[in-house]
Amino acid sequence: MRTIWLASYPKSGNTWFRMLVANLAATDDKPVDINDLPERGGIASARWPFDHLTLIDSGLLTHDECDSLRPRVYEELARGADDDEYDEKSEAPPVRFVKVHDAYTLTPKGEPLLAGRNGADGAIVIVRDPRDIAPSLASHNNSSIDNSISFMSDSRAAFCGQGGRQHNQLRQQLPGWSGHIASWLEQRDIPMHLIRYEDMQADTASVFARALAFAGRAATEAEIARAVKFAAFGELQAQERDRGFREAPRQQAGGNFFRRGEAGAWRDELTAEQVARIECDHAEMMQRLGYELSAAPVAQPVKESAK
Amino acid sequence: MHFYCVGGLTVDSEIALPGRAAQDKGEAEIKIRRGPVPETLESASSSGITWQIAGSKFLLRIPDIARFLLSDGREIAVAAEPAADEADLSAFIMGGALGILLQQRGQIVLQASAVRVGGKAAVFCGGSGVGKSTLAAALAQRGYPLLTDDVCVITADGGAPMVHSDGGRLSLWAQAIERLELADRRGARLRERIEKYDVEPPAVCDTALPLGAIYALREARPPLAVGIERPNVVDAALLLRRCAYRPLLIETMAQRPNYFRAAAAAANAAGIYNFTRHFRFAGLVDDIGMLEQHWQECGLTEKAA
Repeated sequence: MRTIWLASYPKSGNTWFRMLVANLAATDDKPVDINDLPERGGIASARWPFDHLTLIDSGLLTHDECDSLRPRVYEELARGADDDEYDEKSEAPPVRFVKVHDAYTLTPKGEPLLAGRNGADGAIVIVRDPRDIAPSLASHNNSSIDNSISFMSDSRAAFCGQGGRQHNQLRQQLPGWSGHIASWLEQRDIPMHLIRYEDMQADTASVFARALAFAGRAATEAEIARAVKFAAFGELQAQERDRGFREAPRQQAGGNFFRRGEAGAWRDELTAEQVARIECDHAEMMQRLGYELSAAPVAQPVKESAK
Repeated sequence: MHFYCVGGLTVDSEIALPGRAAQDKGEAEIKIRRGPVPETLESASSSGITWQIAGSKFLLRIPDIARFLLSDGREIAVAAEPAADEADLSAFIMGGALGILLQQRGQIVLQASAVRVGGKAAVFCGGSGVGKSTLAAALAQRGYPLLTDDVCVITADGGAPMVHSDGGRLSLWAQAIERLELADRRGARLRERIEKYDVEPPAVCDTALPLGAIYALREARPPLAVGIERPNVVDAALLLRRCAYRPLLIETMAQRPNYFRAAAAAANAAGIYNFTRHFRFAGLVDDIGMLEQHWQECGLTEKAA
């Protein structure tokens, strides 16, 4: 069994990709229920597999102590360990795709958090224009767009990282949008395949087919075409509207997980000032990924030389 | 030495543990001592990330904190790593080694809290973070004495299943203490670097009680709706196994049949339910209302006149 990380900064199309994968196996000629995505192997930061396999209550450990043990958990899971006693044993999927929002970091003991080659055979890294992420993240976190922009430039930011309470997942370090992507692009432990959300939207079938080829997941053209149709954004939105989505965040008051899903929607959602902040914070990585800046980066004002 | 009563057994510990001390009754059934513990066990029959089993020995390693050698279900040897303090040791004895030792004895041990309701035990189980302790604390505030917080032993020696106390301890996160307004009952931190505290429970029951009902706590997320429902027999058996103190060890210790029999006995004598609720403090009042109604319906409490 191969393991492939689906690595992304939050709100970058990770769940959409998982829906596409799930719909490869759609039966009865109808879309897979968005609430039927297998929980097993759901997200790397899930608390239950950690507690289950280590026999340690993760609530008694600091975030760093958890991190030191996490590589061992990913090694066991990659070797095929069951992460649950509840499910009756089912046939292992040909490729295990596991969502991960953690940056590619080293543990306090200096080894890759995600266990390098022992944790997975490769990573599909999904990136998205940070100007489209900001409004989406604000809705996800039930926060303001300005707060999201600050979060996206904070090198110490994390999901589930506060003390004083038990989070539903283990801490995920998100050292800024640029830092997060750089951590994945610069790791040399496992092969990587980069996808831009915008390309996936423009030509879903081709981008998805190439990603599956990288992952070693065989699929026919017809299966891919059907998955693309069944996981179309409108279909996911309709299902969430009708029945809700179990992976939607608790704090998301009234909003939708599948919100707009458009590329370039930032043009009518961000103020000029917000656009400028994001472009200033992330100019280098945006240009590296081919996201055109709306204005030439503001040059540092040249000081008038003393006469 | 410190004496406690956990899971119906007497414990004699060289290391102070949270919870209520018990009277010294001579030879204890479980002894906890500092002592040498090997790094690994020779000829282990099974092993995992933090543990090994060889015959009647079970080695548990909490990295950088301590190694625990559990022998014959009767003795725990504790070897602290250099950086560990006393609180670290007691946290992982109460929150790990002792529960696993009870599993080693072949007992039915759930990761669950429980309170007394009309002379019987209402048990709340689920993994870390589902709100077992918070719900039990809120119920104790409402006058349902706390029976267990985390380690829940159920015995059924031929008769009705009985639920045992884990020693009158309660541990809560800082946020829960604040939201439940329990600051005046707050004790020491479980560990220096964790904002989780020992709390003096508002009301305690330290005698074993007949099982009244088992509730598996689940979060209300689509498609699961808020409510209490009774799963079928097969699902109830799976549910009980998943709620075991350390489910991984059931398979390893070949105890599946024990849990299957316990589930059948519990379903017959009491009832096993899924309790689906929102994971938020503001919902606790509604949760308790739902439970009180359910207790009336299933006869654990008398119907209000």
